[in-house]
Amino acid sequence: MARVRRPGAKWWVAAVSVVGLCLTLELPAAYSQQSVAVRAGLVKGTLPADDPTAAAWATAPTSEFPLSPQVHWPVRITEVTAKTVKVRGLHDGTTVAILLEYQDPTEDPDDAAALEFMVGDTKAHFAHGQPMAQVEGGPVNIWYWKNKDGKGSDLGAKGFGTLKPHSHQDVKAKGVYQGGAWKVVFSRPLSTEHVAEDTQFKPGEFGSIAFAVWDGKKMDSGQPKEKGSEKAISSWWYFRADAPPDYSPYLYALLAVGLALGFEMALVRRLKKGS
Amino acid sequence: MGGVLVRPIILTVCIYLFLKFIVPILPHSAPLPSSLIFLYLMLVMSGSVLFATLSGESKDAFFQPILRFLTGESGGALSSARYLVLALFPILVGWQTYGSTASSDAPPAENRTIHPAPPGEYTGLSNPVPKTPENIMYGKGLYASRCAPCHGNFDGKGFASAGFTPPPANFKDPTTIAMLQESYLFWRIKKGGVGLPVEGMPWKTAMPRWELEMSDEDIWKVIMGEYDGAGQKPRTWDESE
Repeated sequence: MARVRRPGAKWWVAAVSVVGLCLTLELPAAYSQQSVAVRAGLVKGTLPADDPTAAAWATAPTSEFPLSPQVHWPVRITEVTAKTVKVRGLHDGTTVAILLEYQDPTEDPDDAAALEFMVGDTKAHFAHGQPMAQVEGGPVNIWYWKNKDGKGSDLGAKGFGTLKPHSHQDVKAKGVYQGGAWKVVFSRPLSTEHVAEDTQFKPGEFGSIAFAVWDGKKMDSGQPKEKGSEKAISSWWYFRADAPPDYSPYLYALLAVGLALGFEMALVRRLKKGS
Repeated sequence: MGGVLVRPIILTVCIYLFLKFIVPILPHSAPLPSSLIFLYLMLVMSGSVLFATLSGESKDAFFQPILRFLTGESGGALSSARYLVLALFPILVGWQTYGSTASSDAPPAENRTIHPAPPGEYTGLSNPVPKTPENIMYGKGLYASRCAPCHGNFDGKGFASAGFTPPPANFKDPTTIAMLQESYLFWRIKKGGVGLPVEGMPWKTAMPRWELEMSDEDIWKVIMGEYDGAGQKPRTWDESE
């Protein structure tokens, strides 16, 4: 049968391309999310768990989070020194290290910083795991560092006024003050025996993390500018210790390409036979 | 030859352009999520295929250009396009397979309900405080000292708002207090973020539990000041309802 080509026959192909382009543009956007997480990469060498200035930190991606004055609890503050905190993470498969960096014009003995985590799968309010009216909340695990203590503390809380040190102290911390900024590194084994009190890190899985910073500058009253619940805080963000590389998705993709090619060839052959 | 295909394609493109660029500029509208646009386009294309294949004749008219293209009978410049499509299809399948099997760097998706249903005792309450200029002014004063640090000039951009996620509500936005009753605001202010049900993710919100620091009467005055300052009116039931 003779075929007659019409002059406009090509433009429906162009139109198909436009529709395809529309879908291609929409599909990735439909499933993409804003980055709101700290990712701790897996290192093969030595983990800089006690060195906030180690060169290895330059290899870790940096996340930056805004901080607010603590206004949730009645003993509140309206102006804080630290406006943002930069966070990096690394782990070596057994220990995780998290580095905080934030601006502070003066080095003071009462300068302090903290990380907060949920414990287990139970949701906990970011303000010290305080009780919620309609949700049974869980405790929070707090890693605390104060300049004059020179070490990290492993704490737990389930509501304001319940903060207390754990009987086991698994957290280490070290701070270095350089050029008007603090660099504080916290470290702890990825998992501990105290699953009811300590957050546990499962590589590849996201958990919640929050930050707090205190400017310990002495005021005329003799009291630190920021203390207790008067501090700079964030609400919950996400944290993940990266899993070891997994190459199986590449294998699955190759297999899928092969299957699609086979399907395509069989289809075209059948269509040609049919026509 | 491709005439039967042209109409559904033009229809799909027009609907995409309408959803993407026209809907967001309509009054009281907002940009549609990409996932919703994608769903609508898929529905339009499915409907077009169904319509085009209702009869044997229309089915042939619809599929013949596609078959000729795939078998290379179209010839000319379409041959190059055919090779391109045949090469892109397996690549797209491989890319999708990789995307669905590789672990994602994105944190878990959150489906937080912004305005969850209030407890029964907080539905249908009327503001018992007379709406006088003095009471409104008093409420605005309380707002300035208690609420403005986070909610700012009724726009959700107070100096203390930056670190909180979800961000403080923007009362000038027509999708916040303008679509809520005063009794709803009374519940949210009195019980704070920790009073939300699970779908509101109370563990994330910084809204204080103001019943610890304000009387009920003051909360009602704050509500009046809030609506007045934001230039909004509370949602009310019509008399006919």
